[in-house]
Amino acid sequence: MNAAQFGYVFDEAATMLRRHKAANAVSIVIMGLSLLILVVFLLVTINVQAVIDRAGDEMRVYVYLADGAGEAAARDIQMRLLGLPGVEEVVFVPRDEALLSFRETLGKNSDMLDALEGNPLPDAFRVKVKPEYIRSERLEEMARNVEGWSGVEEARYGERWLERGEKLVKGFYFADLFVGLIILLSVVFVIANTVRLTVISRQRSIEVARLVGATNAYVRIPFLVEGAVQGAVAAGLAVALSAIVHAVARRHLPGLLFLGGDAIAAFVFFCTILGAIVSLGAMRRLLRF
Amino acid sequence: MEQDQRIIVGVYHLSKSFGKHFGLHDVNLQVANGEFVFLVGPSGAGKSTLLRMIYMDDFPDSGQVVVGPYVSTRMKSSTIAELRRKTGIVFQDFRLLGDKTVFENVALALKAAGAGLGEIKKQVTEILMRVGLYHKRYDFPHELSGGEQQRVAIARAIANRPAVLLADEPTGNLDAVVTRSILELLFKINAGGTAVLMATHDLELVKSFGQRIIYLEGGRVVKDSEMIYVGDLRRKIDGSPVGRRAERLEGRDIRGEGEGR
Repeated sequence: MNAAQFGYVFDEAATMLRRHKAANAVSIVIMGLSLLILVVFLLVTINVQAVIDRAGDEMRVYVYLADGAGEAAARDIQMRLLGLPGVEEVVFVPRDEALLSFRETLGKNSDMLDALEGNPLPDAFRVKVKPEYIRSERLEEMARNVEGWSGVEEARYGERWLERGEKLVKGFYFADLFVGLIILLSVVFVIANTVRLTVISRQRSIEVARLVGATNAYVRIPFLVEGAVQGAVAAGLAVALSAIVHAVARRHLPGLLFLGGDAIAAFVFFCTILGAIVSLGAMRRLLRF
Repeated sequence: MEQDQRIIVGVYHLSKSFGKHFGLHDVNLQVANGEFVFLVGPSGAGKSTLLRMIYMDDFPDSGQVVVGPYVSTRMKSSTIAELRRKTGIVFQDFRLLGDKTVFENVALALKAAGAGLGEIKKQVTEILMRVGLYHKRYDFPHELSGGEQQRVAIARAIANRPAVLLADEPTGNLDAVVTRSILELLFKINAGGTAVLMATHDLELVKSFGQRIIYLEGGRVVKDSEMIYVGDLRRKIDGSPVGRRAERLEGRDIRGEGEGR
């Protein structure tokens, strides 16, 4: 294809978009609404993910020291904890401080503690673990290991909560992937059919262009550009509509996240490529040779 | 296979079947450069199928079609596009693009061939003047009469100065007066050196013109008015009416040049 032809195909694409405004508008609206479902689904996913991440971030392992372990042993344990893989931060919690915060937690029932003789709580380390290490099997292994150290009484990490949480998250990911795939396939299907209808409605133009000696590339490029433009505009429409949905939902659920700039750019790019590809696919049958 | 350079369209032992009853059976014919040939036969005789094989929209089950340097057994998508640029094609239903003006319809062929904008403007203007439609260049096809639409289609077909023009029942949708004018236009184009192969079911219409007529019936060539025996190229070029016609049109003696490539 020479430079002149290259110019003509883009001219042709612009002419097609201009002269078939209504048909293009209908396609874009159909595609935009289908994509809206996908965007809303993505929003639900990222928001649930954010909740899961936050829960994980607050998760700590508590290593309780044996009574009278001594300062040297405590320092030694702290160093060893810091040397464990996945450990991000180790904070010493003196027993007095622990009692104080326990008292705060109990609030007005805190007078119960007055019945105790002295402080029953041990000194402890509060260990922050990297998110990728927050798995029950890893934490259990760590706890078992640490419990074997001298001067350590016990290591706890909220195992019952973690196991239940993990099951929930796993279930969510599975359902999310499954539903996501179905939605993606349906959206691709709707877009492919919409573009196919556009292509079929121009079958005559394609035939004529081939008759007068247009190469396949010459015939394809305007449709490719048209499909890409439709995809991009439909993606923009879907993002705009989902922003409205998000704004309404946020009134009831403050702190609800929206797609970031990068994600929006990636989504629009994805839809642009999708539009171009389904457009090419739809034409394959019409361009036999 | 290579064929004699003076033959623009050669069909050799072409067979194509569509089910039991339709198709082409061992069809042989040649059209020389600058020749005008009518391909006559009743509906279903295989005229359109044969033309489609010649512009390579479909391919034979056996046998070969050779158009200039293009051989049906060696075509790819890009060479088909090339062939179409060197072959004008006209149909009964005009096949104009309804969303493009007369000018744009004709320009399409030149754009597809990669001509520059200046050249396109000059060439389209010239051709539209030749077919008498320059004043309607901004009209859309639906604003034109049938005859005018066919003129636009012919203008588009000859835009790239093809060596051969294939016309499939180009007057099938037109009344007698318009038919006559379209035929005159085709003769005028032929006089400029373009070979024309026109398919029609109307023997009465064409027999008065004294051009070569090939009769097709039931997918077979049953008669050729100039009695050319296909396959015998030497005889055809050196002594047959086709040879003489080609000679006359080219304005020079082509005899004794051997068998070509």
